[in-house]
Amino acid sequence: MQTLRKSIVALSIAAVFGGAQAQGAGLDLAPMPEFKPGNAAMIELGKFFFFDNRLSGDWGVSCASCHSPEKGWGDGQALSTGYPSMEYFRNAPTILNSAHQKRYLWDGRLDGSDAGTLVRDMITETHTMNMDSRLMQERLKQVPEYNALWQKWRKDDINGMRVYNVIGEFIKTIRTTNAPFDKFKQGDANALTAEQKQGYEVFKGKGGCVSCHNGPIGSDGNLHKTGVPEHPDVLKNPLRTITMLRHYATSGMPNYMNARTDVGAYAITKDKKDIGKFRTAQLRDLRYTAPYMHNGVFSTLDDVINFYDKGGGEGSVLKPLALSEVEKKSLKAFLLTLSGDPVIVKDPGQPDMQVWTAYGKN
Amino acid sequence: MKTAFRFTVAASLLALVCSAAAADKFPKLGPLPPPPIPKDNPNTPEKVALGKMLFWESRLSGDNSMPCVSCHLPALGWGDGGQISRGYPGTKHWRNSQTVLNSAYYNKLFWEGSVTSLEGQAPSAAEGAVAGNGDPSVMEMRLRFIPEYVAEFKKVFGSEWPRMNDAYRAMAAYQRTLVSDAKKVPFDRYAMGDKKALNASQLKGMALYNGKAGCIQCHNGPLASDQQFYATGVPAHPNFKSDPLGQVTYRWELYQKGVPEQYYRSGTDDHGLFYITKNPKDIGKWRVPSLRELKYTAPYMHNGMLATLDDVVEFYNQGGGAVQNKSPLIKPLGLTASEKKDLVAFIESLSMDEPLLHDDPKLPGDYQPLPAPLAAIK
Repeated sequence: MQTLRKSIVALSIAAVFGGAQAQGAGLDLAPMPEFKPGNAAMIELGKFFFFDNRLSGDWGVSCASCHSPEKGWGDGQALSTGYPSMEYFRNAPTILNSAHQKRYLWDGRLDGSDAGTLVRDMITETHTMNMDSRLMQERLKQVPEYNALWQKWRKDDINGMRVYNVIGEFIKTIRTTNAPFDKFKQGDANALTAEQKQGYEVFKGKGGCVSCHNGPIGSDGNLHKTGVPEHPDVLKNPLRTITMLRHYATSGMPNYMNARTDVGAYAITKDKKDIGKFRTAQLRDLRYTAPYMHNGVFSTLDDVINFYDKGGGEGSVLKPLALSEVEKKSLKAFLLTLSGDPVIVKDPGQPDMQVWTAYGKN
Repeated sequence: MKTAFRFTVAASLLALVCSAAAADKFPKLGPLPPPPIPKDNPNTPEKVALGKMLFWESRLSGDNSMPCVSCHLPALGWGDGGQISRGYPGTKHWRNSQTVLNSAYYNKLFWEGSVTSLEGQAPSAAEGAVAGNGDPSVMEMRLRFIPEYVAEFKKVFGSEWPRMNDAYRAMAAYQRTLVSDAKKVPFDRYAMGDKKALNASQLKGMALYNGKAGCIQCHNGPLASDQQFYATGVPAHPNFKSDPLGQVTYRWELYQKGVPEQYYRSGTDDHGLFYITKNPKDIGKWRVPSLRELKYTAPYMHNGMLATLDDVVEFYNQGGGAVQNKSPLIKPLGLTASEKKDLVAFIESLSMDEPLLHDDPKLPGDYQPLPAPLAAIK
């Protein structure tokens, strides 16, 4: 509610002043908020499930295959590979700071307050894990350690949507920690160098970044069109075009067989104003999450800054920034202060399935 | 009332078996007529050729590993030769992979008769999580990126782009061509007038089939199946007790079929028709399979628990197994060793001299980028 009020204030300010710089007025980045992790037993179990490849149809992938702790909780590739025999048409986004997203997925189609539904989508979608929920449930029940861990938070069987919520509770704990920017905001003036502080000024001022990249994770959570170029491999590699058009078809998008570009939020809203709109990406932990953008088309932060310096790409709503080389360099230095320590979680291993001798006893 | 009626009928049937006229009370075995073709899916040579390609097409499965032919191999009697079908990677199936030979004649498919047409069977196999695990929307989209299929579907179905629904129709049309050729079946040649087509042992076996052994009571008509449901007490497959993956699939099947919880929690055997009707009187009942082409389709029964035809004949000779709802038609037969041999010899005469084999079709090549759109989305 408070956030909403703030945005309304910001919007009215933007309306009064107009122009890229003025749009940022009153908006700022914020330190990572306090976070109260959910039920500890759920989180522990969710960690096991996150790394368990038996949650995919043919055991080919686990959540961690595309959201690897060693790769910034993404997969390090421009475009995600997805389920065996498929190839996806978008980048596997980091799951870092899922607890603080307003919307999930690059086209913002899921609500950020419900991590369980995000997990369900990824596990059951054919291009990611291609898993039948009910079969997944029975597989998990076949593992005695999982039944025991489940009993620590609920006195019933491993079941349905709750498996997804359990994983959701785990991914919400994957958060940026110890970022220099946060220390700076909390009063340690020496946490940023002079160059980084200069970059912060560019961020809020001439660069206008803050008008969309604001709040604790550096995202307004809204949909914007900036004209990021298409990744050429999506059309060149038919496997990727297949998953793209199939996504459009199952979203009920009209005329999907004639689509040759990533239409972003339009596939969901069917409002032509939303063609090419994507959710504002967070700016946290960029140090670990290259390549960038919804299709990974930029491999470095320099590429990203140069892109915005030109005012974005085709159809962009942004204006050129005319940043000097020094300003660009300081901006990049600042952006990296939003990254914290690497968040590493060790794969807890995969306890075996065992024979049931009587119900629930194996 | 119903039970009493059934019992009376059964009892009178049993009485009839003992008389020489028994066989006359049941539809006779005989050569198969041409298979019934549904009016809404006529067979054409082009559709059959397309269906054959699709039957072999691995891209019609979740991860490109499970075309129809992976569990229905021509060289293994169009089954997979194992007790329990191999199932999708990461799973084990729970039933035997049935032959698709002569499936054209069934009005109920699958061991528990749960679907009524080949058009309805194909999606269950291609999309089922322990079979093909293919999402129809992605399988359909894959077909649209293979120009040869786009052209073939347009020719056969007149559609601009391949549709999964039509793919299933083409597969069904192809399977309607996988039928016994009466000229190659000794019994059929005999029935059509070639009295030398069966030898003395087979003729004795035929008399047992129609008389003392009582096979004709259920295995009747040209298909050698009345397509009704009976419990005979085939032993349970050990997977349900001893194999974790077998148990996973078993409970998954029960859970999704909405079977009462007690069975889900404590079951150790596959109850067949009961899972469809939820009527306890149907526990252990299975649709009678055809006895054609058995020479090529071992092992036998819904769970492949009987390895040879000798085992099957011995199973019935002993009056089947222990099971509730057992059909009163199943009684110890008192067959001698030579009678059993004769019966097997006759049953084998319902198979073709040579197995029906099909070579692998030439499949289209790789996915291709789509042509430029007629009207781009802007």
